Amino acid sequence: MATIEVQRQILPILANPNQGARFYNPELPQSEPFVPGHRTCAGCGPSIQYRMTSKASGDNTILVGPTGCMYVANSSYLCTPYNVPWAHTQIGSAGSFTAGVAAAYEALIRKGKWKGQYPNIICEAGDGSASDIGLASISGALYRNHDCLIICYDNEQYANTGIQASSRTPYGGMTTFSPPGPEVPEGKKLFPKDLARMMAAGHPHCYVATASVGYPIDLMNKVRKGLNHKGAAYLMVYTPCQKGFVYETPRSIDLGRMVVECGLYPMWEWTPEKRAFDYSFRPASIRPVSEYLKLQGRFGHLHAEHIANLQKFANEQWRMVGVELPEALIKAADPKNQINMAAAAEAEVVAETV
Amino acid sequence: MSTKGTKIPDWLTVPFAGITPAPSQDKGQNLFPTGNWRAIRPVYRDKLPPCNNACGTNEKIQGYLDLVKRGKYLDAYALIKEDMPFPSVTGRVCYHPCEQACNRGKYDEAISIRAVERFLGDLGQALTNDVVKPGKPNGKKVAVVGSGPAGHSAAYQLARLGYKVTILEKSPKAGGLNRGGIPDWVLPQNVLDREIERLVQLGIEIKTNCEVGKDVSWDDLKKNYDACVLAVGLTEPNSIRAEGENKADVLYGLPFLRDIGMGTSKVKIGARVAVIGGGNTAIDCAREALRQGALEVTMITVESHPEEMPCVAEDLHDMLEEGVELIHGRAVTSILGNGKVESLQLHPARFSGAVNASPINIDRTAKPESFVVDNVIIAVGQHASLAWLPQEFKNERGTVKMDRFGRLGDTNFFAAGDIAQFGSGQPLMVVNAVGDGKRVAFNLDKALRGEALQPRTIAIDVIMDLNRMNMTYFPHFPRVHQALLNPITRKKTQDEVIQGFSEEQAIEEANRCFSCGTCNACDNCYLVCPEPCIARPARSNGLYKILVDYCKGCRVCIEECPTGCLEGVPELDFDTGVVRMDTAFAITPGLHGRQAQELVNLSTRPAKDI
Repeated sequence: MATIEVQRQILPILANPNQGARFYNPELPQSEPFVPGHRTCAGCGPSIQYRMTSKASGDNTILVGPTGCMYVANSSYLCTPYNVPWAHTQIGSAGSFTAGVAAAYEALIRKGKWKGQYPNIICEAGDGSASDIGLASISGALYRNHDCLIICYDNEQYANTGIQASSRTPYGGMTTFSPPGPEVPEGKKLFPKDLARMMAAGHPHCYVATASVGYPIDLMNKVRKGLNHKGAAYLMVYTPCQKGFVYETPRSIDLGRMVVECGLYPMWEWTPEKRAFDYSFRPASIRPVSEYLKLQGRFGHLHAEHIANLQKFANEQWRMVGVELPEALIKAADPKNQINMAAAAEAEVVAETV
Repeated sequence: MSTKGTKIPDWLTVPFAGITPAPSQDKGQNLFPTGNWRAIRPVYRDKLPPCNNACGTNEKIQGYLDLVKRGKYLDAYALIKEDMPFPSVTGRVCYHPCEQACNRGKYDEAISIRAVERFLGDLGQALTNDVVKPGKPNGKKVAVVGSGPAGHSAAYQLARLGYKVTILEKSPKAGGLNRGGIPDWVLPQNVLDREIERLVQLGIEIKTNCEVGKDVSWDDLKKNYDACVLAVGLTEPNSIRAEGENKADVLYGLPFLRDIGMGTSKVKIGARVAVIGGGNTAIDCAREALRQGALEVTMITVESHPEEMPCVAEDLHDMLEEGVELIHGRAVTSILGNGKVESLQLHPARFSGAVNASPINIDRTAKPESFVVDNVIIAVGQHASLAWLPQEFKNERGTVKMDRFGRLGDTNFFAAGDIAQFGSGQPLMVVNAVGDGKRVAFNLDKALRGEALQPRTIAIDVIMDLNRMNMTYFPHFPRVHQALLNPITRKKTQDEVIQGFSEEQAIEEANRCFSCGTCNACDNCYLVCPEPCIARPARSNGLYKILVDYCKGCRVCIEECPTGCLEGVPELDFDTGVVRMDTAFAITPGLHGRQAQELVNLSTRPAKDI
């Protein structure tokens, strides 16, 4: 029997229409697979990400939702806000379920039992599923190179169950599992797992990238690149959680920008063809981490030395992406300077990159 | 989920029956109208950009810059023409208060609004037929006395309203101050001629060589026309009250420029010229004197510093580049010479008050300085010549007596332009006269139709402030500068000094506009909404809508709106679109809804029941 070749969708990359100083978003896709009428919190970061991702992928999409906020809050009482097929799976089986969907479609098309294009298969795993509980199954799906996109919407904690620490919770982040006190004043002592680099290093044939809701067009383009990549792709997206981070809801997008500008969330792409990291992304300005920390209640207990520790961590990230460090950031990595800097004017933009 | 044995009201059975209603792209998942979570509702409300507010005639500057960004030049030109009859003129001569007010000026450099206006004005000049059409004739006749900026503007607006307009101009050529007060190297005559042609195309009759009081009397105006706009301007030069000022060859600023502009000048300028005064006319006179053959031009001002001079800083800079010298803190006390001007006698002087127009204190005890000159041009302001005006319409200061609408008593005569604005605190500039002409035209129309008049100053709306906008989205970008002719060569010719923008430059400059406080369809709110509950039928300015059934009031859209046209309003202020529910399930209004209905009916219930 002659096998039928799988027809894949190729999604165009959104081009920046701006000439000169103008700000004008590119023409966005019309389709809206994620509609209002869901019970995520006001200003929910993962929800912003979910909407942008599904808008980028279009109507011929299958969404997989392992247990997490985006499963619990969106699909309560048997009704969902999805205009496209969506399925829930257990928190540990995100990768295996997604791999199954992808393999099933490949087989159905090959055998002529499914007419039409191969769908965009997207798994929306939280950092609990992607970084801790479902790590093995996701690694398996990436290793076997099923044609799917696995997204880790990284809100840096188990928010669905009431803010518990995950391996992505940053150093100093307060959660119910890492409360600050006299013995452990910084709250969380460990630095977060570098999940995306681990995926890139372990599965070099996959497209891997980090993104943030603060850069929507960049995020949508990375989703499309991941879907266009023939084989598995992995995306880690910074999505602030209003309840866990304890900030004012209007700041959701602002935090997404700030975390990149402070160097705590380096943006890069792993290009499997070149077997190399692409570090060319540059935020408009560079800031000390205190700018990011002071917006969030979960870092309210930090002492000067803890802020300096985080600055040291951020400085390493800047060095990794090849940014020459401004003097102010090197100074800020010293706790002595942090004491004076905490409220000083120095804690503003320290360098413009464009 | 089993529902066996549970008593369920009818309106709650649907989701439990195992039939999950599919959400739709238009309506969303209407089982969860989450709008009742909201405490603050985002509302689109366009505010007044500071440039529109600062403009003397309130041009919709942000509006036409936005159209230029999109390449819709003709629409942009039509938008300017609503408020401004001659953008090609103001694009050259305006003192651009809009640029001083521009929010971008606090961020990097103000937008070069005047240059973009000139670009559009020149585009309009090139059109065979203008975009503006006369209004439906209403059979009423209006006379406009004077064809300067205010008269031009009033005649233009009245013609658009359908009046039969006649302009009475005392000079041989129409244009008033635009022709007589502005030199050719700022505003070439053919540009103005083309704008006058546009007036004639609107059906306006222009009678030149027709001076009110001489060729036409007050009673003629009253008898032959339904209404009249008096825009005669300030024509008579002020004197400096110096000894020997009555010498025949002492020149005055505005008549000097006017005669050159009208082509009737017989003045022969010598090598050394002194200009008395520190305003815009004085600057124009000094630069014109260079072009008429003077070798050394000196400006003598009472102001003690260039920054105190009541003039446009750019013009002062250009004048100094051309080599004009400045002498500050001096007043001319006498003009010496045997029959003709030979030298001036200067004494130290300063203004007695903070305002430039206040009386001058001259220190006559100091030793006088002598200043040798061939010509002297006096440009220290003008006053009106109102001999023809009936005494009942003159006030004690000798200017026009009128109400705050510009109306003379209860007649259908209106005063507009400099004669009306002199002493009112408004700058006496072209654009202010245009704005006054426009507003007087609208008031005249209202008066003839028996409607209530509007004050001549505009109502202040919310003026958008830079702090209320999101600057993250706007990269710093340098201003596009207009090319200037070389100061060495330009001071000998009548060639236009400032060059216009090319199309690319105009777009690049318009792109720098923030669109302060006004929706410009950037799609950012639409993109960042977490629900997403922002809908738009098409991507166009101001078509965005909040789906109030779903908006949770997170205010991300308000925070991320680059222009600040979104604002948060407490939900309690609304009585429409409010979602009230007992539980997340209830599709009926529930208890809150019943309470709200009772509140609405409260006023109809008798007092004893409440």
